[in-house]
Amino acid sequence: MRIDYNIKDKFDFGLFLPALILFGFGLLAIYSSTVNNTFAQENFQRQVVWGVIAFVVFFITYSLPTNIFKSLAVPAYLVSLLLLVAVLLMGKQISGSKSWLLIGAIGFQPSEIAKIATIMAIAAYLSRNNSNIDSFKDILITLAIGFTPVLLILMEPDMGTSIVFLGMILIMFFWKGISSFSLFVVLSPAFIAVAAIFGTVYFIVALLLVIVMLVTFKRNLFFSASIFAIGLSFGFFADFVYRALSPHQQRRIQSFLDPNADPLGSGYNTIQAKVAIGSGGFTGKGFLAGNQTQLQFIPEQWTDFAYCVIGEEFGFIGSIIVLAIFLILFLRILKLSHNTKDEFLSLVSIGILSVYLIHFIINLGMVVGILPVIGIPLPFISYGGSSLLVSMFMLGILANLYRTRKNYT
Amino acid sequence: MKTEKFGSLKRRTIIYTVIMATMLVLTGRLFQMQILNRIEYDKKSTDNSIKSLELQPLRGVFYDRNYKVLVSNNPAYTLRITPAYYDTSLNKTLESVLGTESGFVKNMLKKNRIYSKFLPIKIRRGVEFKVIAWFEENSEHLPGVDYIIEMQRVYPAGVNASHTFGYTKEISPEQLSREKEFYKPGDYVGHSGIEKTYEKLICGTKGYSYVLVDSRQRRIGQYLGGREDVFPQKGNDLVLTIETAAQKAAEEEFIGKRGALVAIEPSTGEIIAMVSSPDYDLNRFSYFTAKSFLDSVYSDPFAPLFNRATMSVHPPGSTFKMLSAIAALDMGIINTSFTVTCNGGFTFGRFFKCHGSHGTVNVVTAIEKSCNTFFYKLIYKIGIDKWKEYASRFGFGNVTGVDLTEEVPGLIPDENYYIKRYGENWPRSIMASLGIGQGEVSVTPLQLAQYVSLIANDGKTKTPHVVRGYIDDQTEELVPLEYKEINTGVSQSALDIVKEAMFLVVNGHGTATHIRLPDIEICGKTGTAQNPHGKDHAWFVAFAPYENPKIAIAVLVENVGFGGTHAAPIAQKVIQAYINSFKGESKTFKDEIAVVKVN
Repeated sequence: MRIDYNIKDKFDFGLFLPALILFGFGLLAIYSSTVNNTFAQENFQRQVVWGVIAFVVFFITYSLPTNIFKSLAVPAYLVSLLLLVAVLLMGKQISGSKSWLLIGAIGFQPSEIAKIATIMAIAAYLSRNNSNIDSFKDILITLAIGFTPVLLILMEPDMGTSIVFLGMILIMFFWKGISSFSLFVVLSPAFIAVAAIFGTVYFIVALLLVIVMLVTFKRNLFFSASIFAIGLSFGFFADFVYRALSPHQQRRIQSFLDPNADPLGSGYNTIQAKVAIGSGGFTGKGFLAGNQTQLQFIPEQWTDFAYCVIGEEFGFIGSIIVLAIFLILFLRILKLSHNTKDEFLSLVSIGILSVYLIHFIINLGMVVGILPVIGIPLPFISYGGSSLLVSMFMLGILANLYRTRKNYT
Repeated sequence: MKTEKFGSLKRRTIIYTVIMATMLVLTGRLFQMQILNRIEYDKKSTDNSIKSLELQPLRGVFYDRNYKVLVSNNPAYTLRITPAYYDTSLNKTLESVLGTESGFVKNMLKKNRIYSKFLPIKIRRGVEFKVIAWFEENSEHLPGVDYIIEMQRVYPAGVNASHTFGYTKEISPEQLSREKEFYKPGDYVGHSGIEKTYEKLICGTKGYSYVLVDSRQRRIGQYLGGREDVFPQKGNDLVLTIETAAQKAAEEEFIGKRGALVAIEPSTGEIIAMVSSPDYDLNRFSYFTAKSFLDSVYSDPFAPLFNRATMSVHPPGSTFKMLSAIAALDMGIINTSFTVTCNGGFTFGRFFKCHGSHGTVNVVTAIEKSCNTFFYKLIYKIGIDKWKEYASRFGFGNVTGVDLTEEVPGLIPDENYYIKRYGENWPRSIMASLGIGQGEVSVTPLQLAQYVSLIANDGKTKTPHVVRGYIDDQTEELVPLEYKEINTGVSQSALDIVKEAMFLVVNGHGTATHIRLPDIEICGKTGTAQNPHGKDHAWFVAFAPYENPKIAIAVLVENVGFGGTHAAPIAQKVIQAYINSFKGESKTFKDEIAVVKVN
C-alpha cells in the first residue's frame, strides 16, 4: 500500500484519467466519422500517432523541475510572438485563414503555442511582488501582453482563438483579485463593442446600462465620463471592424442570429449537428451506426463537430458521461489552482483551466446550437495535432505542479 | 506578495458556479434535444438520408376491337450525364455523336446546375442503339456518361391514327400546379387524343425505391435491402373500338389528300376508323422531339395537329337532304306520293339552280338523283325551326361527346339566328340554301357519321366513342365503359323510305353508282360543300349493308369538287375492308392472350 500511496501523492490520476478517457472518446468519434470517408480515412491513425507523442510530451513536462516554467515565461512568449508574425508572412491558408505554419510535412498552429506562452507571461507579470491589480498601469500592461498575440491572431484571421484569449485574460485578472469596478472598467468597452455589432438598438441599450453602472459605482464624474467615452469609441470601432470583416465571417455572425435563414450556408452545420445529436436519443444509434455521421452530413465532423458523433452514436448517456468527465477535470484544476500557494503557478493553473473551459463552452455551445459557429476544437476530443499537443502539455504543467505542490506551502 | 483577494474562496466559488451553470445548461439542452425532441430530430435525420426514387409504371397498351395491339411500350435508351464525374471538354464529342447543335450539352448542364452534382441529368431520350453501342465501346474515355432504359410508345400495327391515339408530353407547369399530388416535374402525361382523355386510367401507379444517400446525394445503397420498396403498377390496358384493317384502308386512301373520315358501328356508336389528313408521325413524339420537327409541324399551312374529324366544320351539302326528308315524312307533311316537278331550278325571290332537270320526283328519287328543286320547296313546308329541331335530334349543332379531347359543335341556324343577323324581315330566300345543306349550316365529319348511324339503325345509337373498355388486371376480362343512348324518336317508316333512297343512290340510278359492289349493299349519299375560298369540298356518307348495317361512314375530302367522284370511292374501300375483315365471331381478351401465349 505504500507504493500506491506514493504514486497517488506524486501523480494526480484526477487529472490524467479524465484526459485519457476523453482522448479515447475522441478516437472513437474520429474513427466513426472517417471510416467511410476516403479523403479522411488516415486521420484516425494520425490522431493515434499524435496521441502517443502528446502523452510523451505530457510525461516530459510532468517530470521537469517546476521552477523552469517561470524562467521560460518571457522567452516562450517572445518566441510565440515571432511565430505569430511568421505565420502571417509565410503561413498556409486553409479555409480562409492563415493560421498554419508548415515544417516539412507537419503543420502546426502557432496560436496554440501562444496560448500557454501568454498565460505564463501574464502570470509572471501579475505575480511580481509589488504588483497592484487595481492600478491603471498593471491593468494596461497586462492587457498589452494579452492583446499583442490577440491582434496578430485576429489578422490571420481566427476569431475563435481570439475569443479564447480574451476570456483567458479576463479570468486571470479575476483570479488575481481585480476589484469589481476595475473589472467593469475593463469589460464595459468590450460589452459595448459586442452590442454594437448586434445593431443600433442593442448599442444604445448597452450604453444606457453602462451609464447606470457608472452611477451605481459613484466614482468621480470626470473618470466616469472618460470610461463612457472609451466605451462609446469601442462601440463605433467594433461596428467599423464588423463592416470590414470578410463576408464569410459576417455570415457566420448573422447565421448565429438566425441559423434557419440560410439552411445551406453557414447555418447548415448547426442544423445538421443538432439533427445528429437529437436523433441519437437516450442510448444512441450505436457505434458506427449513426446515419448523420456515416453519411457525412456534417463537413469535417472529426474536428470541431466531433461531439456530434458521440451525441448521435452514444446518445444522451454518452453525451452526459463526456460532460461529467470534463466536469471532474475542471473541478480538479480549480481545486489545484486554489490550493497552489505560489501565485505564478496558481495563475498559470487558472489560465490553463480558462483555456479548457472556454474551448469547452464555445465548442459545445456551437454543437448544440446555442452559440454561433466559431470553429475551435473540443480539447482532447477533436482531431488535430497542435491542439492535442498543447492540451497535453498544459495538462503536464498541472500534473507537474501537483507533484511539487508541497514545496510551495 | 500575495493579496488577500488572490484566488480567494469567494472567487473560487464564482468560477465553480460558472462551471456548474455551464454543465447545467448543456445537460438541459441535451435532455431537450435527445429526450424531449428526439422524435422530431429522428424524422429529420431519416429524411436526410433516405431518398425515394420514382419507378415509372408502364402505360396501358391499346388494343383494337379484335385485341390486336395498336399502341404498346418499348424500351428506349436515355443518355445521362452525372456532372460530378463528367469532363466538359467532352461536350463537342457528345454533340457530334448525338447530332445536336453545338452548345446543346452545355445548355443542359447549365439548366440543371441547381441540383446536386451527383444527380444524373437526362441529356437525351430515345437515343439510337448504334449511338449507345458507340458509348458502350468508349465508356472508359467518357467518365460521368451513362444511359438508362426507359419506356417509349411504339405503334406495332402500322396504324397511324395520330389524332385518335394522341401523344404524351412532359407535363406543363400549369397542369403540374393543378395536380401537384399526382405528378412531378419531368413526368410525361397524355397531351392529346386517347392518351389525354384516359390518362388517369392508363398512366398506372408510380413505384418507389428507397435508397440511402449521403450529404451530397451520392447513392450509398438500398434502404433496408429494398424491403420497403413499392413496385410500380402498370396502367390499365384499353380496348379500342378501332378496327385495324378499316383504319389502315382509310389512312392509305387519304395519302396525298386532305380531309377526314369517321366510320361508326351504328348499333353501338363505336368508332371503327377515324382519319384526319394530313396527320403526323406519332413516333416522332414518343421520345425526343426535335425542335426542327416541331417547327415544321406547327408552321405547316395544312395544320397536321388539327383533328379535322372532330374540329373542322363545313356545310354538309346534299348529305343533309335526308334530314329534310325525314323531318317532312315524320311530321306527315309529305308521303312518297308527294311529287315536285323539277325544271332545273326554283324561284323564291331569286332563282335557285338545280344541277339538272329531273322532271317529276318524289322524295325517294329526289334523294337518289340529289334533286335540289324538291328540297328547296320542302324546307318551306317544314319551316326553319322545325328543321332545326330535327337537326338537333340527329345531333347537329351540339358536340357529340366523343371521348377525344377537342370537338366543336358546328352551327344549325334557326329563325332567331337570322332575326339577330338581319332583323325581323330577314330574307326568307336564305332558307332555300339550307334545304340543300348549304349556307350557314355547318357540321363536323363526326356529326355526319353519327347522323348516318341514326338513319341506318332505326333512329337509335350511342354516343360515338373510340374506347370500348379496359382490361381488368386480375380477371383479364374486359370491363366495358358505359355510353349514353341516343334516340331520335322519328318514325320507322320515314327512316325506311330514306334508307331505300340511299340504297338507290348507289344501287339504282343515283349519283354514286360507280362504287356499287357485287357482294356488299352500300347505301350512300353524295354531297358537295360550297367553299367560297377555293374548290368545293367533297362529302360522301354511307352505311352498309342495307340489312343490319354494320358500318356508317362520313368522308370529307377538302378542295377537290364533287363528292361522288372523290369521297365515295374512299368510303367504298373502307366499307369493303371492314366488312371483309368481319368474322362475326366475337373474341374475348382471354382468347387472344391464349393464342399469344401458345405462339
